[in-house]
This record gives sequence, C-alpha cells and structure tokens, in this order.
Amino acid sequence: MKRLVFLAVMLALVVTLAVPMGATKAQDPVPIDVWIAFSDYRLDWTKEVAEEFNALFPEYQVNIVGGMSYEEMFAQVSVAAEQNALPGVIHFNEASTQDARDSGNFKPIAALLGDRTEVNGLPVGFDDIIEPTTAYYTLDGNWTSFPWNTSSAIWFSNMNFLNAAGFDTPPTTWAEVDEYCAAIMALEDAPQYCWTFPNYGWFFEQWLAQQDALFVNNDNGRSDRATEVAFNSDAGVAIFNWWDDQYDKGYLYYSGAQGGDSWGTIDQAYQTQSVAMAAYSSSDTTLYTNMGLENGFTTVASFLPYNQETGWTGNLIGGGSLWLVDGLAPEVEEGALAFMVYLSQPENDMAWHKLTGYIAIRESSNQMLEEEGWFEEWPNQTVAMQQLAQSTVTPATSGALVGGFPAIRNAVTGATDRLLLTDEDPAALLDQAASEANVIIEEYNLLSAP
Amino acid sequence: MIIAPLLLVLAGAIVGAVVVGYIFSRAAHRGLLGAVIGAGAGALGSLIFMVPLDYCTFEAERKTIDAIFGGVLVGLGVLLVVAPVAWLGWKLLRRESLISATAQPTQGTFRHWWIALPFLAPTLTILLVFLYYPSLETLRLSTMLSRLGARREAFVCVDNYTRLVEGSAYLDVVARTVYMSFFIVVLSMAIGLLIATMAYLPVKGASIYRTLLVWPYAISPAVAGIIFLLMFNPTGGIINYLLYDWFGVRPGWLNDPNLAPWTIIISSVWKSIGFNILFYIAALQNVPVDLIEAGAIDGAGLLRRFWHIVWPLLSPTTFFLLITNLTYAFFDTFATIDYLTPGGGPLQSTTTMMYQVIRVGVNNNDLGKAAAQSVVLFLMVIGITIMSFRTGGRQVTYGA
Repeated sequence: MKRLVFLAVMLALVVTLAVPMGATKAQDPVPIDVWIAFSDYRLDWTKEVAEEFNALFPEYQVNIVGGMSYEEMFAQVSVAAEQNALPGVIHFNEASTQDARDSGNFKPIAALLGDRTEVNGLPVGFDDIIEPTTAYYTLDGNWTSFPWNTSSAIWFSNMNFLNAAGFDTPPTTWAEVDEYCAAIMALEDAPQYCWTFPNYGWFFEQWLAQQDALFVNNDNGRSDRATEVAFNSDAGVAIFNWWDDQYDKGYLYYSGAQGGDSWGTIDQAYQTQSVAMAAYSSSDTTLYTNMGLENGFTTVASFLPYNQETGWTGNLIGGGSLWLVDGLAPEVEEGALAFMVYLSQPENDMAWHKLTGYIAIRESSNQMLEEEGWFEEWPNQTVAMQQLAQSTVTPATSGALVGGFPAIRNAVTGATDRLLLTDEDPAALLDQAASEANVIIEEYNLLSAP
Repeated sequence: MIIAPLLLVLAGAIVGAVVVGYIFSRAAHRGLLGAVIGAGAGALGSLIFMVPLDYCTFEAERKTIDAIFGGVLVGLGVLLVVAPVAWLGWKLLRRESLISATAQPTQGTFRHWWIALPFLAPTLTILLVFLYYPSLETLRLSTMLSRLGARREAFVCVDNYTRLVEGSAYLDVVARTVYMSFFIVVLSMAIGLLIATMAYLPVKGASIYRTLLVWPYAISPAVAGIIFLLMFNPTGGIINYLLYDWFGVRPGWLNDPNLAPWTIIISSVWKSIGFNILFYIAALQNVPVDLIEAGAIDGAGLLRRFWHIVWPLLSPTTFFLLITNLTYAFFDTFATIDYLTPGGGPLQSTTTMMYQVIRVGVNNNDLGKAAAQSVVLFLMVIGITIMSFRTGGRQVTYGA
C-alpha cells in the first residue's frame, strides 16, 4: 500500500512538472530577469513598474529579483557569471562602474541601441538625461549602462534646533557648521550631538570634489586608467582635520557603523532628534522630510557645506545604473532594453523622484515637476538637482572611475574610523589609507584590465 | 637553485627513514625495511606541498619569512605522509587490527568489501563535490592573487599567508576571536545551565517557561541582530534611553571600541542560550533521581549533590555543548556582528576571523587573501577540536 501511494505521488509530480514544459507555446512571453540592489519600498515600487510593463507589453515577462545590497550584488554577479547564470539586467552602484566595464560581462547600451531613437515605441531620449548623469555613465559619449537612480550628498537640518539657536538658514560652510554647533550645543535642551554623516567613503569623495581635488590620478581615471589614488592631498587632509576637530569638540556623532550598512544608524539619530543636522544622500529626501513632519520638526535640505578656504566647485552624483548582460538572446535583449527605457519614461522618472528623493534624471521630468508646482510645495526635493546643476564640471566633480573602488572605499572608511577614535595623525592615516588603496588598484589592474 | 629541492627531498627522506626505521625495529626488528619505506615516504612528503608551489618559497629573491614558511610546509608534508605510514606499519607488524576494539562490527558484515562502495557512493559524491573539492580549491586560491570577477589570476607563492604575520593587525583579529569566543561559550553555557536547573524544578507551568526560554534560539540571527541594533543604538535606543533616564549615562554600546565586543558577546549569548537550556533540561531529566535522593539521605547539601552527582552526569552534554558552542562562536556570529556593528566595529573591535574572511573576500572582492585566512581559520578549528577531545574527552562520564 505504502509503495502504491509513493508511486502515485511520484507520478503526480512528474505529470505536473511535465505539463507546463510540454505546453510551452511560441507566443509565451519572453522572460527577462532583472536583479535590483534594493530591498525596501524602492524594490516594491520597481516590481510595480515591472508589472505595468508586463501588462503593457504582453510579449515580455520582466521578473524583478531584489534583496541584495550593492556589495552582495557584485559578489553574486561574479559567481553567476562563472556559472553562465546571469540574468538580463543588473543594477550596480556608481562605484562598480569601472569593474563592470572591465568584467566583459556586459554589453554597452550604445552598442545595442545603434542609432535608434525609440525601442518598442518608447522614446529613448538620451539627450534628455541631465548632464551629471550623462557625464558619469558615458564613455567617449557612448552610454555603457542605462541611467537610473541618481543622487547627490546634501545636508539636512532640523530647523527646530537651528531656530532655537538663532539661525534661520542652514550652514553653508565648514566654519558655519562649527559656529552653528557651538550655539546649538549650548542650548538648554541641546541634542546629544550636533551633526553626523554615514561613515561611507562617498562622503569623503563629495567633500574632496567640492575642493576640486582628485580622488585618483589620470583625471579621476577619465583620461586614462587610474593607477594610484590622489586623495591624500591637502584637500583630503583638510577634510580629515575638520572631522577630527568636530569629533573632539563633541559635535560630530559617529555611530561606529562603517560602509554600505551605516546609513540606517544616521536615520535613527536624525529621527530621534539626537542630532540637529546630518549629511546624507538625497536618495532619502522624501524620508527625511517626512521624519520631521511625523515627529514635530521641520527638515530643511540644503547644499552640502563646503571648505571656506578652498571654495565650492561642485558635487558628485551617486546612486546606480542598469547593466545589460552580454550574450543574451536577441528577443531578451530587446525586452530588457525596452524595460530600462520604460523605467526612465518621464511618468516613472517623476514617480520615482517623488517616492524617494532621487533626482529625476530627465530634463523634461524636472520641467514638468516644476510646472505642476512640486518643487514649490516641496523645496527640499530640488536641492540635489540644483546642487548638481550649479556644479562646475571638472574631472574632480565628475567622480572617480577606478577598479576595485568598493574596496578602496573600505580603506577610506577604516581610516575615518581610526581618525575619530584615536589620536593618530590625520595626514598619516590618510597616507596609510592611500598606500592600502594603491595596492588594491595595482592588483586590480594586474588582474582585471582587459 | 636546483640544489634546494634535492636537499629538501633528502632531508625528508632522512627524517622518514629514521622515524619509520625506529618504529619498525621497535615493532618487529625490521629496522632496515622501515628505513627504506620511511625514506620513500619522507621524500614523497617533502614534495606534496612543494611541487604545487614549485619551491617558490626558496627562490633567492624571496624574504626569509617565506623560506621559514616553506620549511614548515616541508615539515608538515613529511609529517602528513610519514605518520600514517609509521602507524600502519606498527599495526601491521604487530598484527593488530586496524580498527579499534570498540568500533569492531558486531553484526552482519558485507561478504566482499567493495559491496559497501555503492552504498557509500551518494555520501562520498556529496563530500567530494561540496567539501573536498572546495577545500582543495581554497588551498589553491590561497596561493593566488585573485579577485572576484577578475579576468586573470596571478601566482603569488605564500604571500597571502606571510602578509598575515607581518604587522600585528591579523594577530589582533585572532586574539579578539579567541577572547570573544571564550566569553560567548563560557557565559552561554554557564547561564544556560543555571536557567535549565531552575526551569527543571517542578513548578506550575514549567512547560510554558521552558518553551519561552528556548524561543531565542528559533529567531533568525538577522532578526535578532536588528532587534539588538534598535535596542543598543547609542542614539535613540531603548537601553540608553532608560539608562540616561535612571543613571544619567549613555554607554557607547556600538561605537565604543571597548564596549562593542561585549555588545556582541551579550547578543550572541542571548541567541545561543536557548539551545544550551534545551540540552541541559534534557540531560537533567536523565539524571537518576535515586542517586540524588541517596546523596540527600547521606547528608549532602544542594551544592554538593550538584557538584558530585549532577555535574559529572551532565558531562557528555557539557562536552557536546562545548564543541557546538565553540563552532557557533567561531562561525555563526557573523550575522550578529554584521547587523550590530557593520564594517567590523569601531577600531575593528568586533572583527572576528570569520568576519574578516567575509570582509576581505566579499566586501573587498579579494579572494586570494580571504582563502588564506579561511585556511588559517580551518586549521584553528581543527586544532581546538582536537585539543578539546584530548583534554575534555577524558573527563566525560558516559552513563551512570
């Protein structure tokens, strides 16, 4: 009897597995897997857009897979590449751009697009993409990946504290941050700390770019492959000295968290009003504005304060872009491209911006947002866009292209940790991080340069 | 440089000849045969690490430390081949069985030895594919400059190992791993035993208490990490909110390098304690009541009864828990560390060896250096296991 039941179950399994395979018809939608490096509401939104796309184009079936961080994504993709198990589209952060270009796993968007201006009836409109994003993700004017989430580092202020200390507008320079903090920390109900930022390498890069100083040599890796870092310059030391001073005075809050997972600790500090101000990514402008509304304070976003000694040249972009895997079947390629184009259409671009605070990457989207009074109603949402628009484009403000960038960031993060928690000399720490980073670049170029 | 390989083979042969020759002559006065076999084994042993490495550690441009490391590898290779040969020779010459008396089969055996093979095949296949092959691959990677997603690899001899001992950074990581693991294991087992002893008492609703006590073990490490992150957060965490309210202090649970390891220890202990309670309750139920009663009648107090009757009877469980807790402390604390102190803690104060392997291999994409570190970790765990079997194993009382 038992054997009979077992056989019956096995038979049922075989039948259920075999039927869908046998029933595959020519008009079944082409499956396109898309790996997204988000795991929260941003992933949910992307899934919704994919469903809309599938409904609009029944010949395709886009599947969004998320839940990985940028770092985990990179490891996952490298392993999948060895097993020939890559999906159609992959979402990498800006720091992985050089690694992705060198990996040989991806097909430049420009190569597939050719001189077409639309895909599946959707206008591509690359000339509509804002300048800083174009500058970062194109190589000799050709798009290597498809632009998507674009941000910049900006400054959030809890105006309740600033007003109480007698300031109406956020600080604009390092000296003003210091002056504000002195007043804020002297308040009777002062916050625990004055300001904070995530210990993530991107912020060092932002403050370096502001001073028009390079992160790596060869024009930030843009005139030729970067062979060593340049960040242990006077500008770099100035940043370290400033942070050290702010921490020693008890103004700067350091959560101890390092790298890509340090963001959440800043959210908690800002939300609980343990700090008055925070440097953060514009990707969460909506969240930070709402934190204030929900907790009874006003959040004002402003440009990232700059070093008054060297002046402000501009800021970098951050975020990520979408990479098309090389060697896909032509119909998968087309579908993947169509989805990326769909994702960047003004309606989606605008909805994405409103949901998160990432910059709308199309000029036309920004114009429409302006016209419908969005920026007037939510002035915080335009800060990152303005900051990038007013930036002078130089090699420094275009951002670095360098192999092993994520690992280099970890070297900077580690040096920052030591800077704040020990009495070691800032310049020496930066030199040490630089020599660590140079080893990474040397090894990377040895192994990965085509 | 052709002279060095020959010399090393010769040295290996001499060592092998002496050792095996001595064993053979002690066993059955067959010293010469032993010396010949031993010489072959020793020569072979000197080759097993050096042939794959192509004697790179003894090249002229290498540093002294590389040569020393190479010498250690030759010695290890000789040991790995000569020791089994000597053991086998001793057993065979004295006509002793190769299997220990307790492991002798008492029931049916296969008519032909090879019949066992098809039955073992599934297990062996899985072990080969998922355990032995990756282990060998790790050994190979550890001699390479290799990055995740890179086009090429480059042979770097033993640089990945020797750079671990240059400078104190890695030694700090090792010391920290030992110290954190020690406290995790000791505290978790001690508190687990204490709670189990109390939960075992016949009180009303004991089963509910027991279920609740085991609960933490069922929570996934990631969820536990997030719960503790929210609680321990220096700004806005509930613990510091209360501490500041009551005592006016706000300890830097996650950003003070002296305190952060303890936050990890506390969280890990909390996480693993349910497992220990579960096993100790089960073990306590197996302690014969008549023994305890007899002790009580003879006038032994509570502590005396515990120390002289219960504790020895718990020793198999304690020993088992010691090994599993050590494994937990070494390998399974990653999620707790990563959620509470992403990046490895202030001044790397919560970076354990396991965490460092992931940091280097996954976050920095540096496979070669990560492979070398995981080989070190592997050796350490083997060492600890052997050590605890040799020391702890003897005092374990199985059965009443």
